Amino acid sequence: MPNDIQNTNAQVCISDLCRSYQEGDQLHMVLNKLNAEILRGETIAVRGRSGSGKSTLLNLISGIDAPDAGQVRIADSIITTMSERDRTLFRRKNIGFVYQFFNLIPTLTVEDNVKLVLELNKVPAPEATERVNDLLAAVDLLDRKLSYPDVLSGGEQQRVAIARALVHQPCLLLADEPTGNLDDTTARSVLELLDKLIQQVNGTMIVATHSGEVTAYCDRVLELHDGALLNHERKERT
Amino acid sequence: MTPILHRASFGYLSRHPWQLALALLGICVGVAVIVAVDLVSESARRAFALSMDTINGEATHQIVAGPRGVDEALYTRLRVEMGMRNIAPVIEGYAQIANTTLRVLGVDIFAEREFRSYTFPDPVVKSNQTWRRLLTEPGAFVTSARTAASSGLAKGRQLTISIAGKAYPAILVGLIEKSASAAPGLDGLVIVDIAVAQHWLDKPGRLTRIDVRLPATESGAALANQIRAALPADAQLLSATGRTQAVAEMSNAFMTNLAAMSLLALLVGIFLIYNSMGFTVLQRRKLIGFLRALGVTRREIFLLILKEGLLLGLFGAALGVLFGILLGEQLLTLVSRSINDHYFVVNVTDLALSPASALKGLLAGLGVSLFAAAMPAWEAACYTPKLAMARSVLEHRARTLATRIACSGIVIVMLAFGVLAWSGDGLVAGFAALFLLVLGFAICIPLAVRQSARFIAPIASWLGGSTGRLAMSGVAASLSRTGVAMVALAVAVSAAIGVSVMVDSFRDSVSHWLNTTLRSDIYISAPGMSADRPGGQIDAALIADLLRVPGVTAHSATRRAWIESERGRTQIIGVEMAPESYAGVRLLEGEPDEAWLAFDTKGAVIVSDPYAYRHGVEPGQLLTLNTFTGERAFHVAGVYQSYDSNQGTILMSRATYMAHWSDTQIDSLGLYLTPDAQLADVLRQLRQISAGRQALLIRSNREIRDLSMEIFDRTFVITDVLYWLAVVVAFIGILSAMLAVQLENARELAILRAVGMTPGQLGGLVSMQTGFIGLLSGLAAIPLGLGMAWVLIDVINRRAFGWQMDMSISPQILLSAVALSVGAALLAGLYPAWRAAITPPALAMREE
Repeated sequence: MPNDIQNTNAQVCISDLCRSYQEGDQLHMVLNKLNAEILRGETIAVRGRSGSGKSTLLNLISGIDAPDAGQVRIADSIITTMSERDRTLFRRKNIGFVYQFFNLIPTLTVEDNVKLVLELNKVPAPEATERVNDLLAAVDLLDRKLSYPDVLSGGEQQRVAIARALVHQPCLLLADEPTGNLDDTTARSVLELLDKLIQQVNGTMIVATHSGEVTAYCDRVLELHDGALLNHERKERT
Repeated sequence: MTPILHRASFGYLSRHPWQLALALLGICVGVAVIVAVDLVSESARRAFALSMDTINGEATHQIVAGPRGVDEALYTRLRVEMGMRNIAPVIEGYAQIANTTLRVLGVDIFAEREFRSYTFPDPVVKSNQTWRRLLTEPGAFVTSARTAASSGLAKGRQLTISIAGKAYPAILVGLIEKSASAAPGLDGLVIVDIAVAQHWLDKPGRLTRIDVRLPATESGAALANQIRAALPADAQLLSATGRTQAVAEMSNAFMTNLAAMSLLALLVGIFLIYNSMGFTVLQRRKLIGFLRALGVTRREIFLLILKEGLLLGLFGAALGVLFGILLGEQLLTLVSRSINDHYFVVNVTDLALSPASALKGLLAGLGVSLFAAAMPAWEAACYTPKLAMARSVLEHRARTLATRIACSGIVIVMLAFGVLAWSGDGLVAGFAALFLLVLGFAICIPLAVRQSARFIAPIASWLGGSTGRLAMSGVAASLSRTGVAMVALAVAVSAAIGVSVMVDSFRDSVSHWLNTTLRSDIYISAPGMSADRPGGQIDAALIADLLRVPGVTAHSATRRAWIESERGRTQIIGVEMAPESYAGVRLLEGEPDEAWLAFDTKGAVIVSDPYAYRHGVEPGQLLTLNTFTGERAFHVAGVYQSYDSNQGTILMSRATYMAHWSDTQIDSLGLYLTPDAQLADVLRQLRQISAGRQALLIRSNREIRDLSMEIFDRTFVITDVLYWLAVVVAFIGILSAMLAVQLENARELAILRAVGMTPGQLGGLVSMQTGFIGLLSGLAAIPLGLGMAWVLIDVINRRAFGWQMDMSISPQILLSAVALSVGAALLAGLYPAWRAAITPPALAMREE
């Protein structure tokens, strides 16, 4: 049985979460009865070695993947009991995602890449355009809105990805190694931008990383080791 | 679905124009073949229907008699004694004017108004003069302006018309008109007064038929009964529509075969579309996975891919319809020539552009596109919303799927055999079984390739060293991309094998049959439906003179005639056999000595194999035929082998024929020469004797055999064209597949370049890969092709035409098919190989 969720103000409650993968004849337990609570407005870093299950955890929180056991609750919604379709619809409305390799759609312009989620959520066109323009201005890419991703630098592509992740005003932002593919200077500017935008909307963010610099921007660091969260370290933000 | 989502999806297609173009081309060719064949069939059918409408006019019924026709006294009796007004006498036949075959329609212009209305473009006074000239001038005729123009006829000019090799003076006295829509029905029609037609066609006192118009009421039925009661024993009152239909139905099996061949191109097209759509999904797996992560539902992804398939299908099919019209115009001559060779005379000059054919093509294109896109769409919808599905996972899935699909293939093949076993004589069921067999076998090919790759790998390594090994392992390891292309090529090549083996077996059987049947040294006949085709009757006095030529030792004489009944038309052959002729008839059923004795002395008949098959007739049974004295039962003494007519024929001695049909005419002679006679001398003398009396077709045994084989080969030209088009579709599939494989493997190829492979070696690697694809497809096509050949020979040909033949497999056909497969694949691989070789490795790696 999953643990009762302790803090009802928690934005994300994870209870006894388990996920394993079959590797040949062996069952590899990636997450083993994992529990965590993340409060509204908190920025959390999930740290761990490669293959420790950071991305799996983000996939389970976002509903991209389903757990073997346990529960994930986001605000009032228990997404682990939802159907695949409901999880997809929940994700499209409430969650933003930033990836290490940007994952912009090469056949769409910067503007369309950002606007796509709004269209999926049926936001009226004038409002969508306004929000896209605001956000592109915020990431300093308004003048590149008609460009295609392949002519942008890595840093620019990640800024577009951040704009896209926030444009539908999600209650939760997930970032998987958001600076892993960037040089130090660019990584720093991307982190500052992400931090600024999240703080502006008092958003909740979970970042999977093994970069020390990224953790410096977070309120707490959760260490993933052997499928469990080892310590809950609360720290002062940089 | 959102417009941006569409842009994201279609943007991919627009960035890969080659793939898009090849997919469109594949659909286009598949649809074009269907539309072309349908248009041609429809045009031929329509031309025939229009021509029959013109000739039958308002007639609801027709009075017909045996081979000699209807006695004209019957017409007089019905009109004068019984006071019937809605009847008209008709004589029909064929004539040649300046090498053009025209249909002669002899009518009584006073009775004509009730049935056929023609107008003259001239003023009334001139029109009346035309009718008067038609009645009074010897050889006067009228025809349509189109026919006059195409045959080079001018009004008022004297000319010579040739009928059954005899020349008659004639004059065109007027041009007739009909409404624009019915005008083509007048094409190739010459209208004369009935007396002129009787003279020209050598039928004094006889009519081909009497047209009757009866109201569809009780009084009409009563009139019909009245007429029936007045008819002599040899005459019958038949429905005009039924008679036309019976003639038109003769070519149905031929048309069905053509339609099935055209479907083959579309079947190959299905694999091609599946191939194209499958690739676009595979190459966008990361994009699709990402869209899923963003919140696009499975249903939205499914519909997105399906919509792409639909749009591709719509554009491809629309192009296909246009291309089909152009192709149809090219095929029109081939098809109408075959119909004229084997079934009936039809003058198809224009392609009838039917919206129904275009719609059929569009729906077929859209249907197969949706069907072919559904699988990749479903596959795409099943992608988990993870970012990038590993290639290894895809290939693993493809391999697992190959096993499952092969199991389904085996079930489908078993189902095909089930359909064959339980469908009786149904032709459509036969084709359905054939398509199931092809489908079932085809989808086993990817698994077969995977298994055979193990055995071929060492050979590849021996042949091409590490490049060969790399190429072979690439083919086997890329089943998700190469599998469908191989299936498409294998299906097309197997069709080539199947059709070639069938045609070859058929050719061998016909050639053997001709060698057995054609025993005479010289054959003489009178021109019938065309200047070089027999059918007319030979002048009796001339026959006597011809048989007196020195060197002629024996002869056979033949009369072919059609007899009709409510059950349809039957061809009977009355033959006076020379002693040597008996060996020329191979009995398939019945004891030869008894059969021939009954044939010669007891009035028994021997039926051809197609006739026996179609009507379920066996030796010992009785066959009822309409004779001069009414219905008579004939004892069936045997079944003989014949490739003469797929409708089937009934052979009887000339004595039996004359006794029952009171017809002494002869339309062909077979002459046997003494051993010391010089063939050329005898031929020269025969031609000298007939010169100026009747232009007969006098041919040596060799000539007639060559001519028969020429007609045979001509019949299968259209088949050749259709299966080559299927090969073209498959070729496009391979080209598209190889381009996609090259695109997919760009990074791998770039790494090979980076580690030191030269552009030439890289091009060689890609070529070798396509070569292996061609080789494996070709090898897989052999068993499928032989299976197809077996179904075509033993099921389709038997059910469609009633013919039986022995299957003969020439190794040359199999070798050519494998060479075709390898050649097509290598050719298709040239461009991808060149592209792979010239792409700078740095660029390829960066693009990845």
